[in-house]
Amino acid sequence: MYPFEGLFSLLVLSLVLETQALTPTHHLTTTDVARLQTLLSQPFTDLKSAYYSVVGLSKLGISVADAATCRFIKSNLDPSSVESLFFAAEASQALPGCEIPVSNDTRDLLLATVSEDSTASQIHQSVSALSSLGLPLASQEVVSALKARISKEDNVLTIILALQTASRLSQQAELGEILEEIEDLAARLDDLGGVYLQFEEGLEATALFVSAAYALSDHVDMEPPLKEDQVIQLVNSIFSKKSWDSLSEAFSVASAAESLSNNRFHVPVIVSAQGPAAISHSQPFLRLQVTNVLCKPLSSASVLVESATATSSKSAILSQAPFTLRDGVFELNFMASQPASGYYQFSVAIAGDSRFVANHVELKVKVSTRVSINNMDLSVVDKDQSIGPKTTRVEYPAKAKASFMADSHQIFAMTFQLVDETTGVELTPHQTFVRLHNQKTGQEVVFVAEPDSKNLYKFELDTTERKTEFDSISGTYALYLMVGDATLENPILWNVADVVLKFLDEEAPSTIQAKTLYTPKPEIQHLFREPEKKPPTVVSNAFTALVLSPFLLLLILWFKLGANISNFTLSPSTVLFHIGHAAMLGLMYVYWTHLNMFQTLKYLAIIGSFTFLAGNRMLAQKAVKRYTTQSHSTAPHREVQSTKERDIDA
Amino acid sequence: MSNSVFSVISRFVEEYRSSTPNKLKMIDAYLLYILLTGVFQFLYCVLVGTFPFNSFLSGFISCVGSFILAVCLRIQINPQNKRDFLTVSPERAFADFLFAHTVLHLVVVNFVG
Repeated sequence: MYPFEGLFSLLVLSLVLETQALTPTHHLTTTDVARLQTLLSQPFTDLKSAYYSVVGLSKLGISVADAATCRFIKSNLDPSSVESLFFAAEASQALPGCEIPVSNDTRDLLLATVSEDSTASQIHQSVSALSSLGLPLASQEVVSALKARISKEDNVLTIILALQTASRLSQQAELGEILEEIEDLAARLDDLGGVYLQFEEGLEATALFVSAAYALSDHVDMEPPLKEDQVIQLVNSIFSKKSWDSLSEAFSVASAAESLSNNRFHVPVIVSAQGPAAISHSQPFLRLQVTNVLCKPLSSASVLVESATATSSKSAILSQAPFTLRDGVFELNFMASQPASGYYQFSVAIAGDSRFVANHVELKVKVSTRVSINNMDLSVVDKDQSIGPKTTRVEYPAKAKASFMADSHQIFAMTFQLVDETTGVELTPHQTFVRLHNQKTGQEVVFVAEPDSKNLYKFELDTTERKTEFDSISGTYALYLMVGDATLENPILWNVADVVLKFLDEEAPSTIQAKTLYTPKPEIQHLFREPEKKPPTVVSNAFTALVLSPFLLLLILWFKLGANISNFTLSPSTVLFHIGHAAMLGLMYVYWTHLNMFQTLKYLAIIGSFTFLAGNRMLAQKAVKRYTTQSHSTAPHREVQSTKERDIDA
Repeated sequence: MSNSVFSVISRFVEEYRSSTPNKLKMIDAYLLYILLTGVFQFLYCVLVGTFPFNSFLSGFISCVGSFILAVCLRIQINPQNKRDFLTVSPERAFADFLFAHTVLHLVVVNFVG
């Protein structure tokens, strides 16, 4: 089931995509073309830059008729270099009345370069030079050399140069295989988001590809295998960059622009509205500029509005209405069809030449109007409606003479209508606000006025309901009406009347505080953690004495038990041990007061190992002494036992 | 009932006085000293408060640790237990006692603050 669903959605998607043709999102404007021209008109330093400038400008349709340029070319020409000959030949071809002298050696050099061993760029340069200088060349040899070159080096630039070279050869040569390269190369373009189509080698390669492909296609009179969408994507890629880093980049863009404007098969059309696409009674004409990629107007085109529908109601206003050409701009009087204000979707078709690409354009046009306020009625109504309302009518832009009073028993009400000034049609703009501004305190409260089903705007202010917005501050409030919308030419800010509001006094704040949103807040005092309360020193001292008292008890008990101090041998190890041990206890005290763990461990290691050695010695001596006394005590014991046994035996 | 308890206690005391060697009695005195010190520290904590709680803990643990180590020393030195500690001589027990005390005091002094 799922594969079929997938196929179905794919089919629908492809149908949808086909019906929506691409239109160029990036194109050169007249300022961009002027910038390109300025860049190419820079004074040139060498033959290569002269070539780019002269030939580039000729592609833009500007001819450089300058004797100084011709002299420059002739003086910088190096007849032993194929590249130099190429630049000179091409440049002189673009300059009228400039001839490069050719010698037999030159001709032989150029002919010899046409071989499989030369690079594609060398072949291209020699063939172009030969062709521009009017020298004969063997097309078939060139074709075979190119084919061999392409099979050896399969990169994009080589093939582009091959295409360029092939366009200079005679039409009788077998250019079919080279022509097929256009399709292969087109397959190598990277599609970026469906908008751009370019080589990863960059802008220059893409632009050179376009000019080479169209040059060759025109030469053999066969339509290049590029779909319309691909052409538009190429236009987007090439003309998205509006300032160029190098002369060669500018040259490639100029060549691409020229070939896209003047080839026999595809001419992309650029449609743009002159100024914002907005129409009003003061400006009833919708003006469109229809040009080619070089910003030259297409005078042979005929522009037609296929349909114009309102975006909100989807009703068609116009169908098949033609634009008239005036001063190179196509214009249409849309206001003549009396459209209501709002946005309209225009579908425009450009006909007149079968080569036009992207000749269906969708435009969003805004129709604006002026608004006027009718029947502005202000009244104060009692809540219990015992007293009838007194309505006051105010005319824009005047202000009501008397101010209105409303307290907790009354409701202040306002009704009005917004209509189109010219047609009288009721309007519902996006912004209809009622603003109450207290001049004394600077407070302002804004409410929205809502239209009812008959498009009559109503606003009611109940003082008891709304007292929180007003902070229960009584006083005189100036009432403003604000009307605005994107399709309104005259937004309105109208001080309609003054309203005195009375709130119940006990709820009013004692001091009127201005809304202190951006004033500094009270400083936060950080409270450090309070140290805990310590017990009085007397108590601590008493308990310290108490805790130390058992030590006295211990000394007394030991004395009573008869501690064996007499056995204290004054051998060096014993003395050293006791000193070391005392030192360790002292170190503990010093650790408590001064040191950290690392220092203590360091000292402890030193003192400890010393104490350990001394102590080991001392204890060993003690052990020896103990064994000897034990053996002395056990030996007579055994003798006594044996005599006892003998007695028993006997 | 109390009679029998009293007689048991007096017999115990009499046996203790007569049969325990002097060395063990010295250690028992030391144990009593440690015990009293610990009790007095606890008393302070209960009566006055746990203000420097880490100090109280380190002091109390010092007493507890010392008590345990002294008990271990007493067990190991007791000649009646000689069969259980064939590899450990009394000198070795005393050396262990000193080493363990060093480590205990290091920790205690670190914690007392």
